[in-house]
Amino acid sequence: MNLNTKTLLLSFFIIHCSNLAVAATAEEKIVKEQIKAAGFVPAADLYRNPDESLSDLGKVFFESNKGLSLNGNISCRTCHQDKFGSADGIPNAAAIGGGDGATKVGPERLMNGAKQLPRNTLAFWGRGAKGFDVFFWDGRVDFSSPKKLTQFGSKTPSNDALVTAVHLPVVEVREMLDEDDFVRKHKVESVEKSKAVYQAIANNLKSVESKASQDLANRLNKKPQNLEYVDYARAIASFIRSEFRLKETKLERVMRGSEGFSETELKGARIFYGKGACVTCHSGPHFSDFSFYTVPFPQLGFGKNGFGVDYGRYNATFNTKDLYKFRTAPLYNVEKTAPYGHSGSVNTLNEAIVAHYDPLSLVSVDKLNKFDRYELAKRLGYADSTSRVGYLTPEEVSQVVRFLKTLSFNQ
Amino acid sequence: MKFDKYLIALNILASIACILLALKYIAVPYAVSSIYKERYKELVFACDNVMRDHLIAKNKVVNEKSEQSIKQLKAAELGLLTCDDYDRLRKKMIDLGVSEGRLSMYGLEAIEEKSEDVRTFVRTHEFKY
Repeated sequence: MNLNTKTLLLSFFIIHCSNLAVAATAEEKIVKEQIKAAGFVPAADLYRNPDESLSDLGKVFFESNKGLSLNGNISCRTCHQDKFGSADGIPNAAAIGGGDGATKVGPERLMNGAKQLPRNTLAFWGRGAKGFDVFFWDGRVDFSSPKKLTQFGSKTPSNDALVTAVHLPVVEVREMLDEDDFVRKHKVESVEKSKAVYQAIANNLKSVESKASQDLANRLNKKPQNLEYVDYARAIASFIRSEFRLKETKLERVMRGSEGFSETELKGARIFYGKGACVTCHSGPHFSDFSFYTVPFPQLGFGKNGFGVDYGRYNATFNTKDLYKFRTAPLYNVEKTAPYGHSGSVNTLNEAIVAHYDPLSLVSVDKLNKFDRYELAKRLGYADSTSRVGYLTPEEVSQVVRFLKTLSFNQ
Repeated sequence: MKFDKYLIALNILASIACILLALKYIAVPYAVSSIYKERYKELVFACDNVMRDHLIAKNKVVNEKSEQSIKQLKAAELGLLTCDDYDRLRKKMIDLGVSEGRLSMYGLEAIEEKSEDVRTFVRTHEFKY
């Protein structure tokens, strides 16, 4: 090969590569426009913490196993562990009765005989940030519209959705409360009866965490004896906001232009915002529209309604349109929060995506008992067309997963 | 000597009484439990299911009143008869010596039957955190 031929070939190669680069840049530009149009907001802009000064005290109460649980040994921290991506790493939450809440966590707690709850523990990333006002799988604390939905009716303990949400787990029997005579006496579902339980928890915190309680009273300009549970809830909410705040992700750097997508990530983004139509529901600053859909994930465990049945949002609204619906999952740090689905029935992100368009591939129908099969058929009947994406190949699913990993950050 | 035959008769009577008591309080309840336990658990599910269906049908009439939703509600009302089957079996089992505590336990087992599945799931899957 003479020099001229070599030069010619090299020129062709350079032109080809630059064409590819231009194509990739153009493609990335289009995808970035879509991401912006779907509501992407840099993490720092989403942070809000009206009670930031209480955050350090909130940590004490958040981790107070003997203080927060009136008659057990469990705190928020027991099920919201850093090593499990701010959740507990098991399909159904393992609650009260599993031993010391400080040391027995995750799978160990489950195997230690803890009482099981019917649903998967939710991660805490971005909770209470701007635009994040719908809490729990069934949205039973929903401040997204002026007509606030909570189990407190018109007597909502706080106008802050997260502070209100912090009121729920501590009075949930089997979760952080064991059934004893006091609980049985106050178990009637009325706001008045629950006030007595909340005051008992506040008094318990005062006695177990006396120094932090004294500090809390000082900062709120209250006498310690006048502290109520809502004061503790404000501190805990403040800690959650600060500890689990959203941070800069690769996607943010890509959007800013300081970094680029890898080829696979870009392909994944194209599917997420394009033919996969994931963006139909996973949109907005938190990659969730905070609406409710039926995605027929396999059911694991006994379910909120017993017998392996979980009616989801219907349990909060009693509207038949909400049967089997669950809140669209926010996606920040989603790679760290396995297992997935309302009952944690799928182990990987790939399977979680497959559940949206080929749910039967995740279930061995011939191995189900007759009731489970009956329920599955019912659930499939209710499945939302909105939540069904077009068929994706396993390779495409992996590409979407790679894109989702650009939403990760370290604590 | 003259009381021997009375003593023997008394022993026989005591033995029969013991056997009858053992039958009534141990053997029969055990046998009844073994025979009807699964049927009982199935009826716990069935009754709960029709009650849930009934509540859903009632809510549907409230939220979306139509001829069809009213028909569904009427059907669901009739469906509640399944709970009558549950009640009858429960009473029959109690009459035959199965304690209410044990029946409650069976009911709880039926509701939470799948909680062990979660432990098995965790045991068999390799979770990557």
